[in-house]
Amino acid sequence: MEVTRLSLRDFRNYQHLDLPLSPEITLLYGPNAAGKTSVLEALFYLATTRSPRVGADRELVRWEAEAEAGVPPFARVFAEIQRLTGHMRLEVIVQRRTDEDGQLTNTASKLVRIDRRPARALDLVGQLRVVLFTPADLVLVDGPPAERRRYLDITLSQLDPHYVRTLAHYQKIVQQRNSLLRAWRERRRSPRAVDDELGYWDQEMTAAAGYLLAERLRAVGELNALVGPLFQAISGGTTPLSIDYLPSLALHEARDAGSLAHRLMQELRNHRRDELARGQTLLGPHRDDLSFTVGAVNLGRYGSRGQQRSVALTLKLGEAALMRQRAGDAPVLLLDDMLSELDAQRRAHLLEAVSLPGQQTLLTATDLADFRPEFLTKITRLRVEEGRIY
Amino acid sequence: MTSRSENLVVEPVARLIDELARLPGIGPKTASRLTFFLLRAEAEQTRTLAEAILAMRAQVTLCRRCYNITVGELCAVCTSTTRDQSKICVVEEPLDVLAIERTGAYRGLYHVLHGHIAPLEGIYREDLKIDQLIARVRSEPIDEVILAMNPNTEGEATAFLLLKDLASLGVRITRPARGLPTGGDLEWADPDTLGSAFEGRREL
Ligand SMILES: [Zn+2]
Repeated sequence: MEVTRLSLRDFRNYQHLDLPLSPEITLLYGPNAAGKTSVLEALFYLATTRSPRVGADRELVRWEAEAEAGVPPFARVFAEIQRLTGHMRLEVIVQRRTDEDGQLTNTASKLVRIDRRPARALDLVGQLRVVLFTPADLVLVDGPPAERRRYLDITLSQLDPHYVRTLAHYQKIVQQRNSLLRAWRERRRSPRAVDDELGYWDQEMTAAAGYLLAERLRAVGELNALVGPLFQAISGGTTPLSIDYLPSLALHEARDAGSLAHRLMQELRNHRRDELARGQTLLGPHRDDLSFTVGAVNLGRYGSRGQQRSVALTLKLGEAALMRQRAGDAPVLLLDDMLSELDAQRRAHLLEAVSLPGQQTLLTATDLADFRPEFLTKITRLRVEEGRIY
Repeated sequence: MTSRSENLVVEPVARLIDELARLPGIGPKTASRLTFFLLRAEAEQTRTLAEAILAMRAQVTLCRRCYNITVGELCAVCTSTTRDQSKICVVEEPLDVLAIERTGAYRGLYHVLHGHIAPLEGIYREDLKIDQLIARVRSEPIDEVILAMNPNTEGEATAFLLLKDLASLGVRITRPARGLPTGGDLEWADPDTLGSAFEGRREL
């Protein structure tokens, strides 16, 4: 798929941007803080309704954006995309909220439109599919488990509308369940009919968890077939990379959603005392992890910096390959300042991957010297300075 | 905060602004506007407003039997001789009773829980009129209990718990048919949809 046009209004440091995009490779170059990354961020936001950077939605609204005729400042991100199934227009407006005296508050509201019709944020996820590569991807390998769960969730949410809805429901149910457990732990309530009171939340939680687990296991299976050769090529080694899903409970033979839900229900009953003592939900997809091994070596723990970088890059290329395989349509690749971090070999592999036919890629760099002259002649170059693109 | 600190505003005015600003949907600016409007209004108008608020507090109570809002000991539904005494419809809020009455599709009794199960908001079983419902089902000649909670997560959680509590009492337990928007509030469902959901209720 490809983005044919991107328009921004009062988004980050862009007052106005109207940018037709090439179906192939576009390089955005210029000094730091010029607004290169914001273009990638806007596309990531349209694909996932989340910013890859930390912070609240209101920070997306350009700092100097002014209220007009009583309408509080807002940022608008609009894109025309071309998919196998046809043409689409996606739009998100993030508007800062004001109190009744017209003072800006710390909150913002989000308005989504698909083909000019209002839609829910969840309906937007996956209409445009992107894979974002940044130097910070290293946390996928050496960071906390939440980063690896997020990797799977972002990938699957863009591929499966039911996954993103189930995930949102699951997270709400776990919060309710945690509040119930915490009230007992803190002795604010007597644990009189624990099983009855947890009954509904257990049932809803395990049903959602069964689906999430089944889909994650299936995705890890498919990823393993894809990342083995990718890792060998990137690392120059002969041993393939293996990704293992580490569930928070023993799954035994359960693989489909129904039997996984049943397994979790059994284990929740076995862990009642622990959960009451700790005041939180200890089992389920929100506690799971991934591990990365080559031979018998866990690279998350014992890998060199170079190996870990190779794994992170492999995971991202694997994510893109999985999306292409499942959807029959390549995701848009967003490479944020990736080249300066990589050695010649990894750089060559990455540039090879983005040069596939039918692959749209946007990449940012501060320095054109990172690229070979032949590469630069094949691509579209755009200079970015202070929220303007030339 | 804003008003009291400004010495220009005399104390009785500041006090009313502060009280009004505590109401939902009213901020300091609207509270000031209302206060200064009342300051200029006829004495008669301010007196009837104050009396209406006091009378509402003094006279309105919860029905001793179904916990709907009422002015006597028992509400109009509970004292009516034409209502079907064998059915109880359980709802979250008094406004739900009004919504169901508007459909004309139901002639039984009610029981108002005054909320739904929501641990995240600190609302648990004991905060609702659940034990009172069970006592009624035990002591009154009830043969059907209709669980008309809102079709959202909290409403479902409440219905689940009630089903457990009522299962052993030998009554039919039903729920209004689907057709209500999930996640929506009963209060806002249109009368036709709500009415047909009641007529097509299913047994649990
Ligand atoms: Zn009554």
